[in-house]
Amino acid sequence: MVEVNTKAFGEIAIEDDKIINFEHGILGFPDLKKFTLIFNIEKGVESTIKWLQSLDEPNFAMPVMNPNLVMEDYEPMFDIELLEPLGNDLSPENLLMFVTVTVPKDITKITVNLKAPIIINAQECKAVQLISDNDAYTIKHSIYDKLAAKKAGE
Amino acid sequence: MINNDIEVTVLDIKGEQVKIGISAPKQVSIYRKEVYQQIQEANKEAAGNVAAAERLAKLF
Repeated sequence: MVEVNTKAFGEIAIEDDKIINFEHGILGFPDLKKFTLIFNIEKGVESTIKWLQSLDEPNFAMPVMNPNLVMEDYEPMFDIELLEPLGNDLSPENLLMFVTVTVPKDITKITVNLKAPIIINAQECKAVQLISDNDAYTIKHSIYDKLAAKKAGE
Repeated sequence: MINNDIEVTVLDIKGEQVKIGISAPKQVSIYRKEVYQQIQEANKEAAGNVAAAERLAKLF
C-alpha cells in the first residue's frame, strides 16, 4: 500500500496490485517509475479521459485516453525488443494502450500524442512509453473535432 | 474507491482493443534527439494542466 498526497486528487491510498511499474520511467522523466490509473467514478471506466498519476511525484498526473476513440485504426509499430519491459505474456487481452492528452487553455486546441503511446500489461502491472516507428503519427494530433462529433452522435 | 469521486483501476479496464505492430527484425530504432525532446516537452505539457483536462473530462 502506498499513500500519496496528490495535487490533483488529494490524499490517495493505492494498493500494491494497482501500481503500474514503468521500469524506464516515462520519456523525459526516467525517475518516475510508479504510476496508478485514476478515473472519475461518475463516468466509471467508460470515461474518455483517465489520469496516470505518478506515485513518485505527487504533482505529476497526465491525462490519457484510449487512442481508438479518436483513431479507429491506430496501430503503432515498434521494434519487438522495446516491448521487453512489459513482461512475457503480451496477449492482446492483457494489454492496454493509452495516449497522453494535452489540454491548452483553449480546449478546442486539445491534442493527443500518437507518436509515443503508453502500453500497459495490466496482468503484470508493467508499462512502458515508446516512440513508434510510424511517420504518420504526430506528437500533437488535434482531436477536438473528433471528440465533438462523437459527443454529438451519442 | 479512494475519494468520493475518483477510483483507481488497472485490471478493470482490460479488454479494450489494442493493436501493436512489430517492425521488421533488426531494424534499430534510432530516435533523433529532437523527437525525444519534443516528447519530453509533450509529457510535461500534458501533466501541466490537469485542471483543464478535468473540465474537458466533464464535457466528454
